[in-house]
Amino acid sequence: MKVLVANRGEIACRILRTLKEMAVPSVAVFTEPDENAPHVHLADEALALGKPDRYLSAEALVDAARKSGATAVHPGYGFLSQCAAFVRACEAAGLTFIGPGAESMEMLGDKRASRAAATRLGIPLVPGAQEADNPAVAKESAEKLGYPVLLKAAGGGGGRGMRLVRSRDELAEAHEAAKREAKASFADDRLILEKYISPARHVEVQILGNGRDVVALGERECSLQRRYQKVIEEAPASRIGAETRRAMFDAAARLGRDAKYRSAGTVEFLVSADGSFYFLEVNTRLQVEHPVTELITGIDIVKAQVEVAQGGSLPEAVAPRGHAIEARLNAEDPYHDFLPQAGPILMLQWPNRPGVRIDSGIREGQEISTNYDSLLAKIIAWGADRESARRRLVETLREITLLGIMTNQSFLLQLLESDAFRKGDTFTTTLEEREWPEPPLPEEILSAARRWIASRPAPQNGSAALPTPWDSLGGFRVGS
Amino acid sequence: MSWIEVVVGGVKSRVAVVRARDGVWISWRGTTRYVGPERRSAAAQAEADRDVRAPMTGRVTKVAAAPGTKVRRGEVLVVLEAMKMEYRLVSPRDGSVESLGCKEGDRVDLGKVLVTLAP
Repeated sequence: MKVLVANRGEIACRILRTLKEMAVPSVAVFTEPDENAPHVHLADEALALGKPDRYLSAEALVDAARKSGATAVHPGYGFLSQCAAFVRACEAAGLTFIGPGAESMEMLGDKRASRAAATRLGIPLVPGAQEADNPAVAKESAEKLGYPVLLKAAGGGGGRGMRLVRSRDELAEAHEAAKREAKASFADDRLILEKYISPARHVEVQILGNGRDVVALGERECSLQRRYQKVIEEAPASRIGAETRRAMFDAAARLGRDAKYRSAGTVEFLVSADGSFYFLEVNTRLQVEHPVTELITGIDIVKAQVEVAQGGSLPEAVAPRGHAIEARLNAEDPYHDFLPQAGPILMLQWPNRPGVRIDSGIREGQEISTNYDSLLAKIIAWGADRESARRRLVETLREITLLGIMTNQSFLLQLLESDAFRKGDTFTTTLEEREWPEPPLPEEILSAARRWIASRPAPQNGSAALPTPWDSLGGFRVGS
Repeated sequence: MSWIEVVVGGVKSRVAVVRARDGVWISWRGTTRYVGPERRSAAAQAEADRDVRAPMTGRVTKVAAAPGTKVRRGEVLVVLEAMKMEYRLVSPRDGSVESLGCKEGDRVDLGKVLVTLAP
């Protein structure tokens, strides 16, 4: 087997590392802005795709596989990872797709189809309407369910095309925006609508199948979300009972078996305060937060995917050991509506600690652009118990030095140090319930920085001397 | 790039610093900030406040304002999409729209003036 990794950033790096460990030859692909990105140098060979959007071109990827002599494709997450047409294009070209088959992807990846399957199997669902494309129909369903309701893209995930509607007045605009965002993200503007359950925890089950049997490897809790995108994830879930956990594992595995699921997938649930759970959706791919499961089970999920794709057996489910927490380091301004940030990484230093894993896709000197997702790296800490993992993650985040663009580093620290997180009182609304003001820097440090800069002449040439739009933006706050 | 030593509350601490443009990026115990040069004059600031600029590179998916219309503080002027997410740019104050610097479907760069309010 020779594997082409049809992705970029931290996930391409993470997959390539496992391939190297398995002595499986690997091929990376890259677009123009990624010519010098870290994933390019981790593969045995690398092929250029061209324009920035070419990670989304099935044709270009299959062509690159053919040229390089790859026999299999790993899609990572995002891009074409949940696109059944891409699976078929790979198979038509004689390539093994390291993921589910096109049919199980269609059956579980589409929200309407997976809900129909869950209903058939007697798995509880959030009450809602499976068709809400038409604003009038959406309104009728919303009135019947009672506000607040959630509008969601039928064909996608990751929080894109999702809108909370608190009252009748908000429906028309939210419907329009959700449709637009769904269309832009998934080329599919079908919407569904469901009752908004709150407070609730977001708990998901990692499954792994071989087309016949499916095992549940463990659950993850990802309640802390901003704009419906996960920020901090942990395993095991902090406060769910053994019975709820068992019942969710069983439901997830049954759903997978019913779809003859192959490879890694995630079945997402909402768990309400009384411990009852509701099926939400299936992510038919490797997920961003898969490392927390890896750290408490010792199973390399990418390796298991590759083995299953080669006809190997499934790993056995193991009893979890300890606790793992992941924080997503994003190029965004958490204090100004999480606006994505672009710019050069001028200085980058990762700390080194026992029990800490850093899955990063960046290097010093790299230019971060808004062409792609804002995820820069995932910091994952393991501990014998939840509090040890939390403290380890906090100290690691304090030691990371990343200069040149604004990131959510200090925001992650605020979350991890908050009373709610310490106590495990984490719900999908926790993050939005209160303000998270930008933490001040001590005046001693600000004045030392100003003295430092005054003592050095301005650079005479190079990019640092060129005026950038930031100069004209004005109003930069001087650490007030 | 380098490290400077600063005494904070009696304790010696190491702070990472990198020069960028005419300011400096600093990082201390997980908190990072760009410290720019001193603020500009109040008059220059007021002039700059008339412009609503693109806070990132992206695509204009909706223009909700038209020249001459009255707008209220917080009212959506332009919807911008980047990384498949929508961002609503709102009016910084009550006033009226003087001119538009973009139209729907435009790709705009960071810092581009999208809407100018009347003084």
